Amino acid sequence: MKPSLAIPLALLTLAACEDPHRARKVSVPGHEGALKTTATLRADRRAFDGAPPVIPHGELGAACTSCHTVRGMAVPELGFAPPLPHGETSGLSDASRCTQCHVFRREESLYVASSFAGLRQDLRRGERQHDVAPPVVPHPIFMRENCAACHAGPAAREEIRTSHPDRENCRQCHVSAATELVFAR
Amino acid sequence: MWNSDPDRRRFLKTLGAGAACVALSPADRAEAARLLAAGAFESADAALAWHKAPCRYCGTGCGVEVGVREGQVVSVRGDEKAPVNKGLLCVKGYHLPGMLYGEDRLRHPQLRRNGKLERISWDEAFDLIAKEFGGALEEHGPESVAVYGSGQWTIFDGYAALKWVKGGMRSNNLDPNARLCMASAVMGFMTQFESDEPMGCYDDFELADDFVLWGNNMAEMHPVLFSRILEHKRENPNVRIVDLATRRTPTSNYADLYVEFRPGTDLAIANGILHLLLKKGTIDRKFVRENVVFKRGIEDLDTIGYGCEGDQAEQYTFKDQAQASSLEELEEFLADYTPERVSEISGVPKAHIDALARIYGDLGRGTVSLWCMGVNQHVRGTWMNNLINDLHLITGKISRPGSNPLSLTGQPSACGTAREVGTLSNRLPADMLVTVDEHRAKTEDIWGLEPGTIPAKPGYHAVDMFRALSRGDIKAMWIQTTNPWVSLPNLHRFERKPGDGRFVVVSDIYPTPTTDVADLILPSAAWVEREGMFGNTERRTQHWDKLVEPPGEAKEDAWQIVEVARRMGMEHLFPWATEEDGDWHEPMFEEYRRFTLGVGKDLASYEQLRKARGLRWPVVEGKETRYRYAAGHDPYVKKKEGVHFYKAKKNGEKAAFWLRPYHPPAEVPDAEYPFWLCTGRVLEHWHTGSMTRRVKELHQAMPEAYVEVNRADAVELGVQDGQVVRVVGRRGSIDLPARIDGRGATPRGSLFIPFFDESVLVNELTLDAMDNISKEPDYKKSAVRLELVSS
Ligand code: SF4
Repeated sequence: MKPSLAIPLALLTLAACEDPHRARKVSVPGHEGALKTTATLRADRRAFDGAPPVIPHGELGAACTSCHTVRGMAVPELGFAPPLPHGETSGLSDASRCTQCHVFRREESLYVASSFAGLRQDLRRGERQHDVAPPVVPHPIFMRENCAACHAGPAAREEIRTSHPDRENCRQCHVSAATELVFAR
Repeated sequence: MWNSDPDRRRFLKTLGAGAACVALSPADRAEAARLLAAGAFESADAALAWHKAPCRYCGTGCGVEVGVREGQVVSVRGDEKAPVNKGLLCVKGYHLPGMLYGEDRLRHPQLRRNGKLERISWDEAFDLIAKEFGGALEEHGPESVAVYGSGQWTIFDGYAALKWVKGGMRSNNLDPNARLCMASAVMGFMTQFESDEPMGCYDDFELADDFVLWGNNMAEMHPVLFSRILEHKRENPNVRIVDLATRRTPTSNYADLYVEFRPGTDLAIANGILHLLLKKGTIDRKFVRENVVFKRGIEDLDTIGYGCEGDQAEQYTFKDQAQASSLEELEEFLADYTPERVSEISGVPKAHIDALARIYGDLGRGTVSLWCMGVNQHVRGTWMNNLINDLHLITGKISRPGSNPLSLTGQPSACGTAREVGTLSNRLPADMLVTVDEHRAKTEDIWGLEPGTIPAKPGYHAVDMFRALSRGDIKAMWIQTTNPWVSLPNLHRFERKPGDGRFVVVSDIYPTPTTDVADLILPSAAWVEREGMFGNTERRTQHWDKLVEPPGEAKEDAWQIVEVARRMGMEHLFPWATEEDGDWHEPMFEEYRRFTLGVGKDLASYEQLRKARGLRWPVVEGKETRYRYAAGHDPYVKKKEGVHFYKAKKNGEKAAFWLRPYHPPAEVPDAEYPFWLCTGRVLEHWHTGSMTRRVKELHQAMPEAYVEVNRADAVELGVQDGQVVRVVGRRGSIDLPARIDGRGATPRGSLFIPFFDESVLVNELTLDAMDNISKEPDYKKSAVRLELVSS
């Protein structure tokens, strides 16, 4: 992870090391009743699972990254701006061009009806070797290097929230599958 | 839908319903179970398979991985193994699958009878085409038939069309929409290097120090390439971007220097830079001595004209005449282009012209020039291409890693099909010309045809082809994979009603204004519904397999052509197995490949291309070439170092530097029509919008066309943002909402309208003036006025 994207120090000091295998609800200081995004709403914002979500709010006249920081930000009267998930790929700099991939929804109707039925999210892909083994990352890491963006904090959905947000180096234990083949000599 | 019991057990186990878990409290688990029961998640893995393909849209040629399940495309992701985009895409690419599934996909051949479309069979359709084209050939000769193709054709489609039209019907009336798009770049490369397409490649995006964008909104039109530049700049703060433009665009926001010029005056600016380079002596004399010759053509404005109105409109036959010139003559020629005069013509401050001269003249820094439609759709587009290449020749900044002129292409296979296969009215494969005896002979030999089959006279170029159709000189025309009744300039001129005695066939995937005026409509297979190959901007040929079935009876364009040729008694042209008993793609490609071998255009084999994430030609002994003409890179260069322009046989294997003056645009604003009108594209939509508007996310992001108005002009005229206004020109008028300070911002006295929206046809306003050499029209400069619309 590049320096500009490291999780800020404040998070580091949030909690002492805890047993990662102990299931517990994440409590986020200062964010009582963490924001829930339902799966249906999540799906509505994407053409298919893996497509860049559309922007669910209007134009605010500010740079996207002023609210969508590495940690996200509570914006009074608007809610919580989820953190930026793109770590190593796009970086956080003046050169971030969010609207190359994320577009506004300026119109509700369709030009022509479509029968496209895209891939939906599948939560059963996080294989684990045995009951207490850390699950393998079930999706590509590319464009999603900041694990905390989706798995921790107020914007994390219940289903995929981590029990141990204080453990920062996620990929120390959770590996991603680079091949589907098994070892053969 | 997720509902089977084993799946449920697996899910619960994964979610941690058993012992340890990912993080869920009992309440979370209950919520997750509720969502599951509601069908919010589904099983995906089981039957999901990923395959490589290039993106369907722009000339960048990003690699994607296509997720296919149960015969449907359900997902797309950026291909991390693709060297072009390294996993990144733009919003069009990410939403590719939706393009296939608009409910109004054309599914069956349809014939217009008594004003109504009726479904017919493929057999009836093919018999009818064979009869109409055969009849026209017999009665009126080969000049009465035409095929209008596309830079979105696959290599197979283009090759089948070329062989049928030139080798079968003995006509040269084959031209692609790419004539409207990069013909000027072709003529630039051909007049200077006698070989089409760039010497450089995308590797320059990580190697150059300075990027000079000539009228090129890369952030929207080649977004992923622009991301590569920005990433390079982020890591190397010394990297600079110069944006030369006639309006501020999203690209301008990232430029170190924004240079705004009056439309058409880029010719003067380039000469102004050359003037300063020579004056300061910041040129590479040794390079010039060894590798460059100087040339001059016809420069008289009246002789050349613009080919759009009056006598020139129908018979536009200008032919340039080259004369030898010299460095000394160049110095004299450039005396006129002092910073003062150039500043006066262009409106660019002298300091900016000087800054540009310092960038090109700093021989220690790598410079890449980039351009696309701003330079190509230009009444002196070939000249402008010449001048940009000149800047690189005089400074020796060419065929070197990190220093090159790189012309960007708009369409996914403008290079691979239109240019390399040669589906232009004057061309044959691998840069060959119908006007050269040996080229025709070589083609006839490879095709096994008797000498003299291919006519030596070039056919109609795109705009002329439609003029000839309007006049009635063309009796039968087949249009594939393009939408001319939205994209041609000066559309009113080409209005047509079916049943006018001509026969127009259109092959496409959705209804468009072009299918609206067709006599016969054929449903085509799109993108991964058929096998294909595209060639992108950097000479990279990319293959993909057929991954899903097309809807209804839709079929690939190449197959449609082959079937008609068979019915016209030309089966000898396509001797390979029919679709029923074998695949013809490989033998067809391998025949085409024979044209490219040994002449510096060598394509990789079909087998190699099937496996690779694309390869850049010339591919010799299995190895691709990054930098053409460069020692150590290009296998055809035998020197130890430096460059060798080995294709430029006419000039002793040296590149030609052309002296090209400034000429004003064909139409300029006046008292009656005081505004400049520029047309173009937007990030979300692909060209005329026939595909991307059927993608929910893209349509909802950019539902309709608009006119960008400068704020001061808007205040003066009393126009509010979003208010519907009327744009009136000499040729037509359209009503559409005004946008003030949107994503782009025009200078005073200047408007911009995108052309994707078929309900507001901006091409009813554009002028069909064109470049004298490339015959490419200028969509960027017409004169209009702005009126309020009373509600
Ligand atoms: S439209 Fe162009 S830049 Fe966008 S994903 Fe496709 S090829 Fe890449």
